[in-house]
Amino acid sequence: MTAGTLLDFLIITGLVWLAWQVVAGRELFRAIIMFIALGLAMAVAWARLGAPDLALAEAAIGAGLTGAMLLATYRRLLEHNPAKGGQRYARSSRLALPVAVMSSLLVMLLGLTLVNIMPVEGEVAGQQAIQLMQAVPMENPVTGVLLLWRGYDTLLEMSALVAAWLALRILQPQDAATLPPLSSSIPLLQALLAAAVPIAVLVGGYLLHAGGKAPGGAFQAGAVLAGAGVLLGLTGSLQRSTRASRLLRAGVVLGLIVFSVLGLGQLAFGQPAFAIPGLWTIYLVEGALTVSIALTLLLLFLGSAGVRRPAP
Amino acid sequence: MTASLTLYMLAASVLAGLGIYGVLIAGHLLRKLLALNLLGMAVLLMLITLGARGTGAPDPVTQAMVITGIIISISATSLALALLLALQRVTDETHLDAEPLPPVGEDGDAAGSR
Repeated sequence: MTAGTLLDFLIITGLVWLAWQVVAGRELFRAIIMFIALGLAMAVAWARLGAPDLALAEAAIGAGLTGAMLLATYRRLLEHNPAKGGQRYARSSRLALPVAVMSSLLVMLLGLTLVNIMPVEGEVAGQQAIQLMQAVPMENPVTGVLLLWRGYDTLLEMSALVAAWLALRILQPQDAATLPPLSSSIPLLQALLAAAVPIAVLVGGYLLHAGGKAPGGAFQAGAVLAGAGVLLGLTGSLQRSTRASRLLRAGVVLGLIVFSVLGLGQLAFGQPAFAIPGLWTIYLVEGALTVSIALTLLLLFLGSAGVRRPAP
Repeated sequence: MTASLTLYMLAASVLAGLGIYGVLIAGHLLRKLLALNLLGMAVLLMLITLGARGTGAPDPVTQAMVITGIIISISATSLALALLLALQRVTDETHLDAEPLPPVGEDGDAAGSR
């Protein structure tokens, strides 16, 4: 057994054990923590499979922001009804185990069959995309594919984020009193924030800039910036608000608008829609997307339509 | 590519099975949501493992799709969490069709006694 196989074996054992803990762990809080750990283990698996862009996205969004959202919701559920906080529920289902085992076997059968069929050389979509990309200077094929070949996907996933925010605006409690600040301020925290937030902004900016030629891009950068916002939210420097200011609303839809206008504008020049004309467009679109993604993810975490500075 | 793809495919199928099992037996809706996310992760792992066949890095088209998948799952999760909070505001409950269990620590295997 080589060292590489041993590493794969360890990662996979970790994944399966953590997943079991998420599903069957006794306490809900523990299950949430295990889910966050599972996200990080998944990021390691993806780095091992040669996909560092995904590892970054999974660590920042899948483990980090989703985990923060789950924990914040768990706390709000407890605050709303402390007496029932520790209450556990179970469904009795005799069919659950056989259904799960059969589905797992079906997936295994399909997966093991597919993984042994080698793709036909030269007919893989990714290889063709890379070959056609020689004309455009994008050294990171993933960012290139996201913007040049699958622009509709990118546009629609941004729409999905905005749609989630719109739904949140409808679902949020209309009574402002039921939106307490997430935490009170502690003196040492200010010193931590003064260091951590600028570094997060710097890292976000780097990820955005590096996206063209190294792992990174608008989604990873937006997630890191949203992480800084989550920190500010948790320490009370940003508070939830039932109303979104005009500036905030503009920020949320900025990515959609810039991408749509530039993409559809190509039609006027006789180009196909969403054909990216040059590098400057890519930076413009990625920059606008980063702002929108960061703001939307932050608002989704806060669970409110808007943010405001705390009253002095 | 040196990573053992068969191993990762086996892991993806086990995770998918666990996710389905979790969705079926979870009582608390938050845990059901965790299990759904687990199922999603299994699908993404399967996609990337298939994209990594052949030589070199995984297919960039697959990677772009999986990044899309990650963003869609966080959107759906945040919407589900908001729905859960709204359900609790209206009905004071955090489960739909589940039975309450004795609190943790009162006796050994509470889940098995029902």
